[in-house]
Amino acid sequence: MSAIKQTSVPVFSDSVAAPFSGVSRLSARTLGFYLALGAALTFFALPIVWMAGIAFTPSGEYVSDSLSLLPAHPTLAHFEALWRDGFPGRLANTLIVAVGATLLALSLGFLASYALVRFRFPRRLDHAFLLLVLVIKMMPPIVVAIPLFQLLKGLGLLDSKLGLILVYQVYTLPFCIWMLLSFVRDVPLSLEQAASLEGAGLLRRLWHIVLPLCGPGLAATFIFTLIMAWNEFLFALLYLSTPSHFTLPLYVSNFITENETFWGQLMGIGLLSSLPMLLMAGYVQRYLLRGFAMQMK
Amino acid sequence: MLSRSALSLALTASLTLSAAGATAADLVIAGRDGIYGQALEATVARYKDTHPDMDIELLKLPYGSLYEKLVISLREKSGAYDLVLLDDTWATEFMGNGWLANLEEQGKITGDFIGATLDISRYPVAQGPAYSLPIVGNVAMFAYNQALFDQYGLSKPANWDAVKVAAKTISAKNPDTSGVVFRGQKGNPIVTGFLPLFWAHGGVIVDDSGQPQVNSTQGVQALESFLELKQYAPKGIEVYNSTEVRDAIQQRKAAIAIEVWPSWAPSMDDPSQSKVVQEMQVMAAPGQVNGSSPMLGVWQMGVTADAKHDKAARDFLDYLTSAENQKTLALELGLPPTRRSVYTDKDVVAKYRWYPNQLEALEHGKARPRIKQWNEVESILGDYLQLAMIGQMDARTALDQANRKIDRALKR
Amino acid sequence: MLFRSRLQLLLLMSPATLLLAMLTLYPISQILINAFSYVDYVGAERQFVGLDNFVELSEDWFFAGAIKNSLSFSVLASLLQVGLGLALAVLFDRQFAGRRFALPVIIYPMMLSTLVCSAIWRAWYHYDFGFLNNALLSLGLEPVQWLFDPDMALFSVMLVDIWQWTPMAFLIILAGLQSIPADIKDAALTDGARGWRRFRHITLPLIMPQVLLALLLRSIDTFKLFDKVYALTGGGPGNSTETLSLFIYKQGFKFFNLGLASAAALLMLTIACALSAVYAWRYVGAKS
Repeated sequence: MSAIKQTSVPVFSDSVAAPFSGVSRLSARTLGFYLALGAALTFFALPIVWMAGIAFTPSGEYVSDSLSLLPAHPTLAHFEALWRDGFPGRLANTLIVAVGATLLALSLGFLASYALVRFRFPRRLDHAFLLLVLVIKMMPPIVVAIPLFQLLKGLGLLDSKLGLILVYQVYTLPFCIWMLLSFVRDVPLSLEQAASLEGAGLLRRLWHIVLPLCGPGLAATFIFTLIMAWNEFLFALLYLSTPSHFTLPLYVSNFITENETFWGQLMGIGLLSSLPMLLMAGYVQRYLLRGFAMQMK
Repeated sequence: MLSRSALSLALTASLTLSAAGATAADLVIAGRDGIYGQALEATVARYKDTHPDMDIELLKLPYGSLYEKLVISLREKSGAYDLVLLDDTWATEFMGNGWLANLEEQGKITGDFIGATLDISRYPVAQGPAYSLPIVGNVAMFAYNQALFDQYGLSKPANWDAVKVAAKTISAKNPDTSGVVFRGQKGNPIVTGFLPLFWAHGGVIVDDSGQPQVNSTQGVQALESFLELKQYAPKGIEVYNSTEVRDAIQQRKAAIAIEVWPSWAPSMDDPSQSKVVQEMQVMAAPGQVNGSSPMLGVWQMGVTADAKHDKAARDFLDYLTSAENQKTLALELGLPPTRRSVYTDKDVVAKYRWYPNQLEALEHGKARPRIKQWNEVESILGDYLQLAMIGQMDARTALDQANRKIDRALKR
Repeated sequence: MLFRSRLQLLLLMSPATLLLAMLTLYPISQILINAFSYVDYVGAERQFVGLDNFVELSEDWFFAGAIKNSLSFSVLASLLQVGLGLALAVLFDRQFAGRRFALPVIIYPMMLSTLVCSAIWRAWYHYDFGFLNNALLSLGLEPVQWLFDPDMALFSVMLVDIWQWTPMAFLIILAGLQSIPADIKDAALTDGARGWRRFRHITLPLIMPQVLLALLLRSIDTFKLFDKVYALTGGGPGNSTETLSLFIYKQGFKFFNLGLASAAALLMLTIACALSAVYAWRYVGAKS
């Protein structure tokens, strides 16, 4: 999706939309807009820049009274150490588990939320279902961890990626259902009715109408669910036992030890382990920002 | 359209991939992160020189995570681990529940393990058979900056009163340096920071009949001394943990550390990390009413009762605890040994000038109470010590309330 | 008729329902049983004790503190995050150069591992060497006791949560804004509504479902706050940042008092339901 195509869509912005306001007011507004944007970007980015700086700073240099964000003597040593120490394997594990859990939750959640929005349930079972699912999302993971261990052991799925993908659904599936609800609801009923008159069945309507129109919602939900599964620590800690099956969060915890924090490697792994998600989010944002849904029609 | 079929493909692929089975290792070891992990890793690498075909999986976890994982795995009999590393405060629980294998079925443990460290590998303590072997001869030491002491005409502190005087003097005369530093964070850190003082003042956590006694007169006096010391500590001591304590010492922001672990000591003399090279004196903590009672924090390793590779596990454990391997680990990483002969080894002493002090501290070392509920007792004590430290309660009230809650936990 | 087929309904609902039932029926039943039992997890013993666990909790000063902290954290943090997120989403709803690069920057914090995020802020909050106090000193201001002033600590933790999770509220609301059909926006423009009035009367009602959703999800997550206090303060100083999750963690995972932990979790769920009922009800109700 190129930027040119996006701008062909009507834009809802004050500077364009208010051609008759005075020039001074317009520029004051624009100035205010960029000030606010700059402040927001600084607030969210500054700690990240600091983190990246530390990732390239040699050990022993990081404690300082200065405000400089960049290392005096940049080094790649931390990244080299991480690479040698089995980072690629952990990354692959995390990718499989997080993407698997996300896609599973997204597909099941999408079907369920569509049914919950469109269909008439007997005895308000839909409300009951939604509230029950919300209660599940509220449960503190600590109290479900032990019963889930016993469950996985019974299924023979301890220490496996599939087991982890399954238990992540306790939190990702309720989340997806609730997230997608409002976006499915926003899909105009008339479109589906028209398609149905032309003979489109349930699956075709889902695939060709509802799914594309839920683009922004699906994209946002994808990003959140991926983040949840990517950074999950407790279940991964308890249900994986072989180091070669470990996911990244378990690996990250190695750099904050009781006696010492390995700042360089910790910030390095922070940077490395978030980059794949940043790439995916950067890709998915095309569905999030306006333009995509229009193009699909 | 393309992207949607790609999505379905990815879903199928990741589910298939994730179902791929586990490879079976010949030995699975559950251990700690940090220096302990490095030591295990180095040992595994050397061991593999003589056992090239063995596939050894080594797990490295943070303190709390290792405990949670081990308790659940061992209790649920998942049979996932052959060898487990454990803190000596977990020993009573692990051994009492029959989770570890008796290491003396075939014959007595031989070798020159320091008595106090091997005693806590036995169940019942000091009497029964050994269910583990001491791996890391950790003992809480005390450190002070000799250069600063010389500058202000102070001598090696003989007791805690002298420590208070020294801390006060340095704080008053040097605006850049606090007199003393310790771990003040809630929970385990503040308790281990406080115990050397508590014991030196004659305090007892649980008496011989199993009754909690933290609020005895001696205990209250110890806490009052601790609170006095806090006045000479850096701001923010309430959230200090090891990282902050080490930084404070190495950046010369504090002159005395109540609690220093042997594995921290080498970096104090490392010019790339420290501004106090050769300035720190490391010794056993001073006494007060009682003599010096350095706190033991021995890491042990045991073979699990349901180990799938019992024989290999025992063989590796023998290698790990051998004098030769301990010497190498001490020289390479500064991992404190548990055998007497390694402490008196010429090369080792040449490298670590405080080792004779450390050996003495280990020999007089005192273990924390041998009770199953230690975690809970420690946490309760930690909560109330902190309330006293931030001034929400006086020493007497805090310890009275802690005692009541500990009593309840012990009766559970 | 459309949407009447019971078979289709069953096909759509059963995968999610079955999976959730398989995963949660056993854990939930365990919580319900344990809450009224004395459980010796290690010794595999369980004994019915009625309301004893709840009585013990009601007498626990730390538990009461944990409820208070969790509640105030949840309410304040979720409102701030959604407020800020809404403002950001409105900023990003207009087209500007570099928007595609600014968006990933804003949402980056939530992709960080919580461990790394907490470590960054722990370093920033350090009284002597921390970035924030260095900055304050260089401006000639007094350093702040971020984490060890009992009145300040919870707000410092909140700032970290706001930094990490405002992006979530922002993204949900932005997705809502972006799904408003263009013709409605055009209609609003031709009506001449603009500025605050247009936002208040046209835009806001249209994205209300997403705002409520963001409030709901953020208040649940903030109510469950655990990792950040664990890493930043350990619940201290004193009990000023002790939260319900931290309390349950200690009882359940450090002491393995599963009875007490389950009772506390049950109380926590009750409060969470009450807390979110307001949003959930309006949100679900919007259907009928």
